[in-house]
Amino acid sequence: MAISLKESLIVGFFDFWSRKIRSFVTITGIVLGTMSIIVVLSLVNGINKKTLEWMMERGGLTKITVYRDWNYNNKRKLSTYFSLKEIELIRSLIPEAKYMNPQIRHHVKFSYEDKEYRGPIFGVYPDFSDIEEWDAGKGRFISNFDIRQSNDIVVIGTKVKEELFGNKKALGQMITVHNRRLQVIGIMEHRYLYNSGNLGSKNALSYLNRRSFTPLSTMIHKGTGEDNIGSFAVKAQDVKSAPDLRRKLEAIILNLRAGEPVFRIESAQEEAEEMEENAAKFRIIFFLVSAISLLVGGIVIMNIMLASIQERTREIGIRIAVGARRRDIFLQFLVQTILVTTIGGVFGIILGLSILDIVSKYLDFELIAGGFMILVALMVSAGIGLIFGISPAIKASKLNPVEALRYE
Amino acid sequence: MEELIKIQNIKKEYKMGKITVPALNGIDLEINKSDFVAIMGPSGSGKSTLMHILGCLDTATFGEYFLNNEKVSGMKKSKLAAIRNKQIGFVFQTFNLLPHLSVQKNVELPLMYAGLSKRNRIKRAREVLAEVALSDRVKHKPSELSGGQRQRVAIARAIVNSPAILLADEPTGNLDSSSGRDILTIFSELHLKGHTIIIVTHDSAVAERANKIVHIVDGLIKNGDFS
Ligand SMILES: Nc1ncnc2c1ncn2[C@@H]1O[C@H](COP(=O)(O)OP(=O)(O)OP(=O)(O)O)[C@@H](O)[C@H]1O
Ligand SMILES: [Mg+2]
Repeated sequence: MAISLKESLIVGFFDFWSRKIRSFVTITGIVLGTMSIIVVLSLVNGINKKTLEWMMERGGLTKITVYRDWNYNNKRKLSTYFSLKEIELIRSLIPEAKYMNPQIRHHVKFSYEDKEYRGPIFGVYPDFSDIEEWDAGKGRFISNFDIRQSNDIVVIGTKVKEELFGNKKALGQMITVHNRRLQVIGIMEHRYLYNSGNLGSKNALSYLNRRSFTPLSTMIHKGTGEDNIGSFAVKAQDVKSAPDLRRKLEAIILNLRAGEPVFRIESAQEEAEEMEENAAKFRIIFFLVSAISLLVGGIVIMNIMLASIQERTREIGIRIAVGARRRDIFLQFLVQTILVTTIGGVFGIILGLSILDIVSKYLDFELIAGGFMILVALMVSAGIGLIFGISPAIKASKLNPVEALRYE
Repeated sequence: MEELIKIQNIKKEYKMGKITVPALNGIDLEINKSDFVAIMGPSGSGKSTLMHILGCLDTATFGEYFLNNEKVSGMKKSKLAAIRNKQIGFVFQTFNLLPHLSVQKNVELPLMYAGLSKRNRIKRAREVLAEVALSDRVKHKPSELSGGQRQRVAIARAIVNSPAILLADEPTGNLDSSSGRDILTIFSELHLKGHTIIIVTHDSAVAERANKIVHIVDGLIKNGDFS
């Protein structure tokens, strides 16, 4: 290529700059188009990420939970709890499940010296920690040995620790939990998820920090003596096997209650699918909006470039007279159109990022604008220049030099 | 004498809707290397048309054109562009400089299309600008120069690629007589340095410097008046 790209760019930039007002009007469509790409993609990303965070907090896509269906009309007075035996049976029927955790929940009084605290205590298996991906931050969590021995131990949440012990040492201390003396062997990791909504706590997960845990066996054999397990959770090996495991569990549970749907099964599967669907719809709608503004922007630019070629007819004639080939002229104008639309794209990106900056202050989730999005927006704006620059560039390259030189 | 240009029975017609306007009606012409040719004739006789064909800016409707023993008529457009770039220097009555480029950049333009590196372009452009005595104006824009200076820039641009022929269509037509004389002196000097020059003029003083005068009337050569 005889004519350098750089020269085309410089000439193009000069042309753009020498007609600032018109140039900026020219690129409005492109600016708005790329801006909406940035804003919308970030919005969709932000919503997805927020939802995903929530799902992960609830055990992610491999967690399946079984609990009593409160809407079910239990005419036959079937048991709405699982016995420990039934739990063990179910566990033996689903060896493919990675973890299983049955749990009983009670609301009790905790006391240490002169301090008291009321909160939930859960009788659980060690698998709880694996399913919820939540472990003791200090000390340790419940072990299989604790289950076998029905040890008198408790693992408390950070809020419980704070209320009972303040800054004092909690590990190893004996506390009274509903008339029983239990030893604190661990303090759970503090849980935190930012929530900027003005309702309640800034921490969306503060309820978790109020929880305490004791071996399920301890609770059943040394506590209430009742073997009423309200719910259990299962974790599949991976996301792919989760739907099969869910179907299998459904069948087992129906069998245990004479085919009556006493229990409900819930997994993040449907939510995940729904979220994906919604995000896809979102993306399509907003891509259409962006596409339309980019298309209009492109057509505007094409017309302005055609007009600019009219104005620059003599220049083109001169260039041809001194030896420019058709493709040199073609390239020059194409590069210039791409330059103009890319400048528009850059402004659009800057505008989009500023809007995100402002908007994210009023929303309770992060708007994530990745480098990838910026790249997409840049490429789209350059692509618009490429597509809509072709026709003006062809027109310019086909000018007859003698007539072009005579043009006033 | 080395033959540089040979045209045979060149005709040119302009089509304007249904009417065809004949501009050249069968021109034969031979020009040798280092000739200084003056083309004269009344307005509308076809001088510019002939120059455009010689300069490969336009093609003849009929006839053949040989440049350096190479047949130019019927050549592909990209080859014609290369010929315009390397073999021909064209000086117009209205200068035809690019207004937003500096003097230096204007002169670099043919070198750029010839594919020279920036360094060589700058060096060569400075050389020819020195030849037309404009070394102190390289950074100026054409609008900051006088008519005579602008035409000198145009001449520098025309000779920058060391073309085989230098074509000038009424190069002094837009100049006052004193600047016109300067320009003619430059053409004379270039001729002495060995350039082949074809110049369209109404000025008999110009014709006096030529070694060959071609009179065109109604698209035909009226005399092969050699002096
Ligand atoms: N593009 C064109 N379309 C139609 N007719 C044209 C065109 N260009 C030139 N002509 C006609 O061709 C004839 C020759 O024109 P040309 O420009 O070659 O004359 P000229 O000798 O250069 O005249 P002048 O001395 O005024 O410059 C004229 O009759 C002119 O009207
Ligand atoms: Mg003329």
